[in-house]
Amino acid sequence: MILGVVRLACDALPDVEIVAEASSGPAAVEAASSLTPDLAVVDLDLPGIDGVTVLRSLRGSGFGGRIVVVSERTDGATVLDAMRLDVDAYLPKPDGLRRIGEAIRRVLEGERAIDPALEQAAVLELGRFARQARESSEVDSSLTPREREILELLAEGLTMQQIGRRLDISPRTVETHVANLYRKLAVRSRVQAVSRAASLGLIELR
Amino acid sequence: MAPTTSMSRRPSPEAAAPPAIRRKLGVVLIDPLPVVRAGISLLVDGRPDMEILAEAGDGKEGVDALSRVRRSRVVVLVGLGLEGEHDASWLIRTVRERFPSHALLAMGANADPTMISRALFVGADGYVDKNVDPVDFLGAILKVADREMVLQGPVAATVGQIADSIELRRDLDVRLTGREREVLAVAAEGLTARQIATRLGVRERTVTTHLGRIYGKLGVGNRLSAIRMAARSGMVSVGSLE
Repeated sequence: MILGVVRLACDALPDVEIVAEASSGPAAVEAASSLTPDLAVVDLDLPGIDGVTVLRSLRGSGFGGRIVVVSERTDGATVLDAMRLDVDAYLPKPDGLRRIGEAIRRVLEGERAIDPALEQAAVLELGRFARQARESSEVDSSLTPREREILELLAEGLTMQQIGRRLDISPRTVETHVANLYRKLAVRSRVQAVSRAASLGLIELR
Repeated sequence: MAPTTSMSRRPSPEAAAPPAIRRKLGVVLIDPLPVVRAGISLLVDGRPDMEILAEAGDGKEGVDALSRVRRSRVVVLVGLGLEGEHDASWLIRTVRERFPSHALLAMGANADPTMISRALFVGADGYVDKNVDPVDFLGAILKVADREMVLQGPVAATVGQIADSIELRRDLDVRLTGREREVLAVAAEGLTARQIATRLGVRERTVTTHLGRIYGKLGVGNRLSAIRMAARSGMVSVGSLE
């Protein structure tokens, strides 16, 4: 459906021709790197694959051309992700499809065509993002090296006893550290502690 | 109704006797440039729903002025041009810490994404560029008063870059120790290991050890790359790189 709309739109633009059509992420990356087009129209709602992943692999493969995104996803997080991958236009489906020809033309002239409401959603998301980054750095600097060590071991799934043995300290001491850790992370259980620490980027879950 | 406690905050508008009009939004203006302050004062005082409560030309004065303000619904405008020991980052952090209920709007003149990311990271609720239309400038103040994130000006196009920079800053903060960050900040001024050692009151060997660890953690091979990365994240100021 999208392909049809894009074909029609491009036919109406005098200086634009379609050099390739792809219906999967890998095919798009393949086409982009072999044909180096000036512009790619990317539908974020391909079945079976996350659209942002497609964008990421497209940029990751070295595609430096312009990107016009169309998607049903209009949440701030997705739009912000797309903007971080340097997309030039983002049109919501289905309404935005009507403006796709105009968006392609403007983008080729060097303008951006992010739908204003979507840009606003991305800005709100940026606010949340900044707040969370600040929080994570604050929590991080409040942890002692010992607490950090214990956090890693908690994430590995060790019991208090095992942690005590590993670090050669008494289980009582471990409990004290863990209590302090919970307080600093503002959580009440190990699962919460690990998930909060992971969401703050303090540990990586393998 | 007389206040019953020594609490400095006034009763909320809802609690007060039927308010005919909502209380004016209070604005505290802190910017190093007198002409900028004068212009913004005129704009703000020209509106029926806002007023300037205080203004200051440097960070320290700004905090003093804020500690005399007894109001709720206050927006603090912070000029990113504030420099020195009490620069804009210091001021934003301090306001966040001491006056957490105030809204904080950073303002700059064609600030780059790194500067904006730094302001947001340390606690600004939004950014407005001084080159926007006055109506939009005032609109940004009203929005941020409701603690809504604002990004007004040509910078709106750089949302993605700002986010990248904030994420890098977070990663550097989490990966490096406080001491390592300090060493990196001083290194960014272009000092030699020996000079860094003198400044921080440690031995030169200690500095080179720190630097080695920093390179390892950041996955870079030399000092310049480390400083570049820190500059891109807004952790250190880029002035010394140019």
